[in-house]
Amino acid sequence: GRGGMKGGAKVIVEPHRHEGVFVARGKEDALVTLNSTPGIAVYGEKRISVEVPPKDGETVAQKVEYRVWNPFRSKLAAAVLGGVDNIWIAPGSKVLYIGAAAGTSVSHVSDIVGPQGAVYAVEFSHRPGRDLLSMAKQRTNVIPIIEDARHPLKYRMLIGMVDTVFADVAQPDQARIVALNSHYFLKNGGHAVIAVKASCIDSTASPEAVFAREVQKLQAENFKPLEQLTLEPYERDHAVVIAEYRPNKKK
Amino acid sequence: MADATSLFTLYESAAGYALFEVVAMEEITGNQDTLTDINRFGRAVKLKAFHPFASASEALENANAVSEHAMSDTLKEFLQINMPKPKKSSKTASVALGVIDPGLATAISSGTNFTCRSDETIREICRGSRLHLEQMVKGLQGSSTKAQLGLGHAYSRSKVKFNPARSDNMII
Repeated sequence: GRGGMKGGAKVIVEPHRHEGVFVARGKEDALVTLNSTPGIAVYGEKRISVEVPPKDGETVAQKVEYRVWNPFRSKLAAAVLGGVDNIWIAPGSKVLYIGAAAGTSVSHVSDIVGPQGAVYAVEFSHRPGRDLLSMAKQRTNVIPIIEDARHPLKYRMLIGMVDTVFADVAQPDQARIVALNSHYFLKNGGHAVIAVKASCIDSTASPEAVFAREVQKLQAENFKPLEQLTLEPYERDHAVVIAEYRPNKKK
Repeated sequence: MADATSLFTLYESAAGYALFEVVAMEEITGNQDTLTDINRFGRAVKLKAFHPFASASEALENANAVSEHAMSDTLKEFLQINMPKPKKSSKTASVALGVIDPGLATAISSGTNFTCRSDETIREICRGSRLHLEQMVKGLQGSSTKAQLGLGHAYSRSKVKFNPARSDNMII
């Protein structure tokens, strides 16, 4: 359905501070991304169509479509709304996305990086993997990889060097998985953006202690921690941790 | 390390197999700038040969073999044509082949008479190869993502298709 945000033509879309992300201002504000496949929703999310004034040489106003990005369904969207400093994903970025699931969140990353970018979406589980595959058919900047992220050498032929590794795998050895993949695929000075679910790593320790330990694990693997942000109120006991890989010393 | 040993490295991409020759080892070790700068990397590591996959099915066949640490016939032939023959007279190996995957290194050394190595240095050289491959192989510029896209779909489709009974509770 196309209800909700549509109500009246009074919706204005403005660029967000993060390039490639937008905010739709109507009765309620919503985070949105520019739909690379206008007319198609990936998982039943709401779409907002906006007229843009004609550019030079055009006579008719063009329509542009955006898709609503729900922070309760995407940890990256939650991090953006939580005020994270930099998501290190922008138009043109190459992103290795570990824990792609059915590709709902991946589709928004695909919108952000645009036609010059690429999203290598890794998911091991076959059931969501099928949805990921059909989503990727519509979006040619998504390279689907149904394989175990614990064994990056298995899919080394499918991947180029990337700017950013995003991980949302809810596994106790997540930091190790990220490091392993980064050693092969993340460029020097690239970034890891990791959604950490405290209870998945250690349900007995306090979330703060778990987050601190994950940061330590990354430091041991040549990462320089830059930022840590809780995902409240969208997710309980979750944080996003951002770190730079093999940081350039010259800066 | 024996000074007389010349080192080659294998790089497997979606577009095909590449063989590099390391001509200035001292430039590579412990120097990250050599790996990130295309000019310096290109002086230390030369492209010796490239075998472009002729079809999508050849690419998929090789991607499946590589992911299972196996040497395909295509790879065996590629190495036998392009690697210099090891000298029979000398006691130590005169030529070594660097392979990123230790499992594949074992498969190659038992299936051919090449001496293989797989270590930190080889991994670092492969990082450089991954970063600069497009600039080093003629005709590949701008097309490697397309090759990855096609192969990614084919590889993943076969995974989902051929393992219908596989349990779905591993990584969410």
